[in-house]
Amino acid sequence: MAVQLDGAAGRTAPRTGKGGPPPVRRGRAARGAPYLLLLPALLATAVFLGWPMVRNLVLSFQKLNMKELIQHLTDWRGIGNYQEILGSSQFWRVTLRTIVFTGANVVLIMLFGTLIGLLLARLGKKMRLVLSVALVLAWAMPVIAATTVFQWLFDSRYGVVNWVLDRLGWHSMAAYDWVGTQLSTFFVITVLIVWQSLPFVALNLYAATTTIPKELYEAARMDGAGTWKVFTSVTFPFLKPFFLATTFLEVIWVFKAFPQIFAINQGGPDRLTETLPIYAFTEGVGNLHFGMGAAISLLTIAVLLAMTAYYLRLTLKQEEDAL
Amino acid sequence: MKRGLIAATAVAGMLMGVAACGSGGGKSADGFKGHKLTVWVMDGSNPAQWTKQVSEQFEKKTGATVEFKVQQWNGIQQKLSTALSEDTPPDVVEIGNTQTAAYAKAGALADLGDLKKEIGADWSDAFNKAATVDGKQYALPWYAGNRVVMYNKKIWAQAGITSLPTTRAELFKAFDTIKSKTDAEPLYLPGQNWYFFDGLTIGTGADLVKQAGGKWVSNLGDPKVAKAMDVYKQYQAFSTAPKNKDEATPQQSEIFAKGKTGAIIAMGYEAAEAIKANPKIKDDIGFFTIPGETAAKPEGVFLGGSNFAVAGMGKNQELAKEFLKVALSKDNDAQMVREAGWTPKSPALAGAAKENPAAAAAAPAAAKSGGTTPLIPQWAAVENVPNPIKSYMTAVLGGKAPADAAKDIESEINARLAKQ
Amino acid sequence: MRRSLAGRIWPNATAVVLALGFVFPVYWMFSTAFKPTRDIISKDPVWFPLHGTVEHFATAVNAPNFWQLAGNSVVVTVLAVGLSLLIALCGAFAVARMRFKGRRGILLTFMVAQMAPWEVMVISIYLIVRDADLLNSLLPLTFFYMLMVLPFTLLTLRGYVAAVPRELEESAMVDGCSRRQAFAKVVLPLLAPGLMATSLFGFITAWNEFPLVLVLNKEPGAGTLPLWLSQFQTQFGNDWGATMAAATLFAIPILILFLILQRKAVGGLTSGAVKG
Repeated sequence: MAVQLDGAAGRTAPRTGKGGPPPVRRGRAARGAPYLLLLPALLATAVFLGWPMVRNLVLSFQKLNMKELIQHLTDWRGIGNYQEILGSSQFWRVTLRTIVFTGANVVLIMLFGTLIGLLLARLGKKMRLVLSVALVLAWAMPVIAATTVFQWLFDSRYGVVNWVLDRLGWHSMAAYDWVGTQLSTFFVITVLIVWQSLPFVALNLYAATTTIPKELYEAARMDGAGTWKVFTSVTFPFLKPFFLATTFLEVIWVFKAFPQIFAINQGGPDRLTETLPIYAFTEGVGNLHFGMGAAISLLTIAVLLAMTAYYLRLTLKQEEDAL
Repeated sequence: MKRGLIAATAVAGMLMGVAACGSGGGKSADGFKGHKLTVWVMDGSNPAQWTKQVSEQFEKKTGATVEFKVQQWNGIQQKLSTALSEDTPPDVVEIGNTQTAAYAKAGALADLGDLKKEIGADWSDAFNKAATVDGKQYALPWYAGNRVVMYNKKIWAQAGITSLPTTRAELFKAFDTIKSKTDAEPLYLPGQNWYFFDGLTIGTGADLVKQAGGKWVSNLGDPKVAKAMDVYKQYQAFSTAPKNKDEATPQQSEIFAKGKTGAIIAMGYEAAEAIKANPKIKDDIGFFTIPGETAAKPEGVFLGGSNFAVAGMGKNQELAKEFLKVALSKDNDAQMVREAGWTPKSPALAGAAKENPAAAAAAPAAAKSGGTTPLIPQWAAVENVPNPIKSYMTAVLGGKAPADAAKDIESEINARLAKQ
Repeated sequence: MRRSLAGRIWPNATAVVLALGFVFPVYWMFSTAFKPTRDIISKDPVWFPLHGTVEHFATAVNAPNFWQLAGNSVVVTVLAVGLSLLIALCGAFAVARMRFKGRRGILLTFMVAQMAPWEVMVISIYLIVRDADLLNSLLPLTFFYMLMVLPFTLLTLRGYVAAVPRELEESAMVDGCSRRQAFAKVVLPLLAPGLMATSLFGFITAWNEFPLVLVLNKEPGAGTLPLWLSQFQTQFGNDWGATMAAATLFAIPILILFLILQRKAVGGLTSGAVKG
């Protein structure tokens, strides 16, 4: 998923930059221009996202199982689907789990991503190239391919991971069942997701640090600041918009992570590693209860909106200030 | 009745009989000329020679052509259920025998009662049961197979075992001998070979579901299920295979192919896969029926296989029925047994089974102790990924008491059974 | 800068370990693809494919409809990404450079659009496409993939557009260019890195998409490569060798694209993006 090299850094530009929207000539035509320019994007969004979303909303009030699908029947359930979901303890457990899972992964990704990004800045030219290429390779590996390889690496009998642990002297791990418990399954999933996401953060962060004026660092060093101090007083404040934007994206991407979790153990054991998207898919598409699935998916968006509300508000407020 | 008679002649006359059937079947041969019939079969289901001869015979008989569209397993449920809702669904579809009830209840399949009477009078009930719902025939059994013990003759000879076991006790004794006398793993059995376990529950006479208050609920806490699981555990103790994997990850045939495994509980076709992975293993492979507690009754087996069904919204239903007459004729059924090692579904096919050792080993158990999963439409949902019964198996093998393990997943099973 | 010996060694040592960690899974995919089956399922890992074989690649490429599906994948992906870049660029320019009513609402729309649960919306999309009688066509696929990447592309490009110094554009206009000419001649070249960076995201997303094409395009020749990739993991067990070979082939176009575009994207950005 994560592929927007420098994009996040780029996005921060208008906020760090001085200019807000421009002093434009305000003719009649000019007033219509922005709408005209946005028309294709808005139209496409309305047709190819808005329409399915409305359809999804309608479905969430229906019972649509295999029978209704095949026979083209419409069976209204009112808010029955929602009642059933919100009334089940499973939904709330899954929601809580999703939030914790997303939080943990995003923290790990941002933390290690930042460290690797700073490391890149500190390396010599050759070593930097080596590490960058390694990061790019991991980043470019298609999700389906990556999940397949990780399944294989963590295989209990033929996996390289267990073999290495065994050789290192941890013999009880020789046939360890990584997907046998909730925690160990989440461990594998987390390793996979963090491995896939770090390159994006690290490379972007490195690219962003190169834009920080050298004078700022020199001034800080002259004041006798140590490494940590330089980071907190120069790097972090300068790149704050970058951190915010990247965290926002990572929250969305980790929250929505689907093939990774599904391929590792289909949300098992005992559905204990299901996150909201997996839960919605298993209930809706897997068990052919499409109405239920639609309802869950809409609740899922609500949860994601709540999780990102801070950033959304902040961004909109800045937009307002800029105007 | 006339058509039935002609079908009977077809049994005797094999190939020629089919041609005769075409001209006498009521519809004129050119009635379907230029039509094309679409048949969905699953990846790996239709053997090459069978496909060839069915296509030829069908074309000859009806003048229409048939196109086999091979479907991948991944996401098949979504594909099939959406396809059956379309204006031009596939005309004939292969459906897993335990999935048939769900599709029939959803109104997706045409009634094939007359056709069954015409061509399937001598099919065994164990095969046909899974093609009927509430007494109505919604599909016709195409093929089914059951597991056998696939063993490595070389290793067994090394261990000095001369006669094949006919009871479970003898089998376990043989495994012990292999363990002590050779460096091979006596049996490779991962913890989640769920269909082998299902066979064991058939063997102990357990029911996986029961009716309570007009609803189907889990019966996994039943002592008979626990007893079957105990047998499984005894088997699994001979293996170092992972307790949390099924026989497909990694493919057990490829492990067997390495020549370090005494036996696997396998379907007949897995021998071909082993040979593909290691051609040298070919002459070492042998099969025998999974022995039961006594020599008289083999171990219970799950009769897994597929039915052919006709899409209820299909535009070519008459032609589809003509296709089924060809595809399920005696000689084509015999070809499935010979070519793919499937279990014979009628006594008339016993001859064909003799030509395939896997089918020969499978036949006694299928006839005497064959069964399926519960044949209720809701059952399909229970087996959906992630299958809770697999979790149950892993938990018990990991040391949990069967009753506790059952309790852990019963609510999940009940929830799946409750959804219509 | 003065640094102790240890201070010079540890960053390099860490970098080596990290590089190995990131590369290993990729290496394992490549090497497994070349190993004979008996080396893949082996108690002790075979680190190098000493008895290299291309049989798995043969299996993968000889699977039915491979070339057809590959063609479909390329067409759908390129069209989807191209369209979304075009549409997003117009929109991004408006949002970044113009003031108008409803601007915040529009921004919010696109931010929220990034959250769309596509996997679960598959069935609503299916119903729409089925009723429009467009199943087994590449057209709906192209448009829906386009929309999967559009919000991200637009929001990201908006940053790049805003980062182009307005004075450049204005001076071009003083020189007698129209606004459109100024955009094409001055702004667009500066946006090239941004366009490349965002197109990478689009390529990966569209190239990987599986759940939608699974139900929309069920005709064997109408699918895309993810369907082909998934077929080696079957009910009868996984053909790991073929899966890895297929995964390798599947990954190569993206890897190449990345290695080509990556450097340009970085170079271009750092020279002009974050103007302090």
